[in-house]
Amino acid sequence: MKDEPKTPAKTGAGANSPPRGAANRRSAFFLIRFVVLLVVFYAIVASHPVNDAVIVPFTSAIARVSAVILNVLGEQVTVNGTEIRSSRFAVAIENGCNGVETALLFGAAVLAFPAPWRRRLLGLLFGFVAIQIINLVRVVSLFLVGVHRPALFGTSHTILWQSIVVLCGVLLFLLWAAREARARQRQGVAVEETNRGAPKPR
Amino acid sequence: MARPSRAEAGDPQVRLDAAAALRATAAFAVALGIWFTFAAPYERTLAAAAEVLIRAFERPAVTSLATSAGEIRVERADFPPDSPRPGLPAADLHFNFALLAALFALSPRPLRSANFGRFWIAAALLWLVHVAALVFQVESVYATRMGPWSQEHYGPVARNVWAAGFHFYQILGRFAAPFVLWWGVGRVGERQPETPGRKRVKGA
Repeated sequence: MKDEPKTPAKTGAGANSPPRGAANRRSAFFLIRFVVLLVVFYAIVASHPVNDAVIVPFTSAIARVSAVILNVLGEQVTVNGTEIRSSRFAVAIENGCNGVETALLFGAAVLAFPAPWRRRLLGLLFGFVAIQIINLVRVVSLFLVGVHRPALFGTSHTILWQSIVVLCGVLLFLLWAAREARARQRQGVAVEETNRGAPKPR
Repeated sequence: MARPSRAEAGDPQVRLDAAAALRATAAFAVALGIWFTFAAPYERTLAAAAEVLIRAFERPAVTSLATSAGEIRVERADFPPDSPRPGLPAADLHFNFALLAALFALSPRPLRSANFGRFWIAAALLWLVHVAALVFQVESVYATRMGPWSQEHYGPVARNVWAAGFHFYQILGRFAAPFVLWWGVGRVGERQPETPGRKRVKGA
């Protein structure tokens, strides 16, 4: 009878590590899937029917919610379509400012990442909500900057907030992906332990 | 917060904790400072490179690109002398440099020479992306914004390719580019070595 190894050759996380070449290939495939999905998403949202039927009403909804928050904060604002207006400042929320682009980046990354569909859908749902909350903070704060520090509006709008929202989207994806990787690791360890505990054929 | 993972390729391989968030924020702020300081000379390099590319495919070669006050001005030798020149906002094109810096700062040791080297490789690749985006921007102006002249010189396919190409960059590409470069170039050295396997005890 053969001795069982006293210590397993590989345990835990390391047991699941593929060779470097496979790692690079999977990484490259992730990027290819990500870019292809981005192009597909772009083709969908840039088409006029989708823009008119989905994106514009969605952007109007963002304007209405932002206006509610701004009114709570004491700004007397009104909404007309995608435009928020007060006696001192007005801003129109356009494509690129509605959080959709960050949501698409996040969605493409989640869908490109290898994971079970149920967890992908949960990730998409929570990610979309989180991105929209961050975007609401952006719209409200930009309006306040426009009212109180109009000289800073251009830089805040174009550079600061766009980068911050996208960075948050990327970090949300990384959090989700790390969580997904841990779940996979646990699964791999559980399978390994089950295999080790199973009686070996003689 | 997520713990680092070394399980599978394609995993993010970064530790997302308060320290990482702080590093990313600090890198973003520093990169913005660098970006503000060097935006003007950087735009000149973009304009020069894009001009070479555009003129290479122009017959006759008439385009020249000049930079001024955050704009890239399109000059053509065949423009009437008193006509207005199109001015393209330059900041939109390349502010994603700060995003790239923030992503590279997620590394546990961002100032390690290997990470720093990879960052500059990614930044150089991002420069190429910016040049390509500027070429698309200028061509989309030529293809769609110059009335009958555009119709005469650009077919429907060319108009759509140039305009959609630049629009894609504006909406998604400029944000995706730093992420793709970081994922493809920046994370290479972050992969932790596999746990070395101990020798199996051979059967008696």
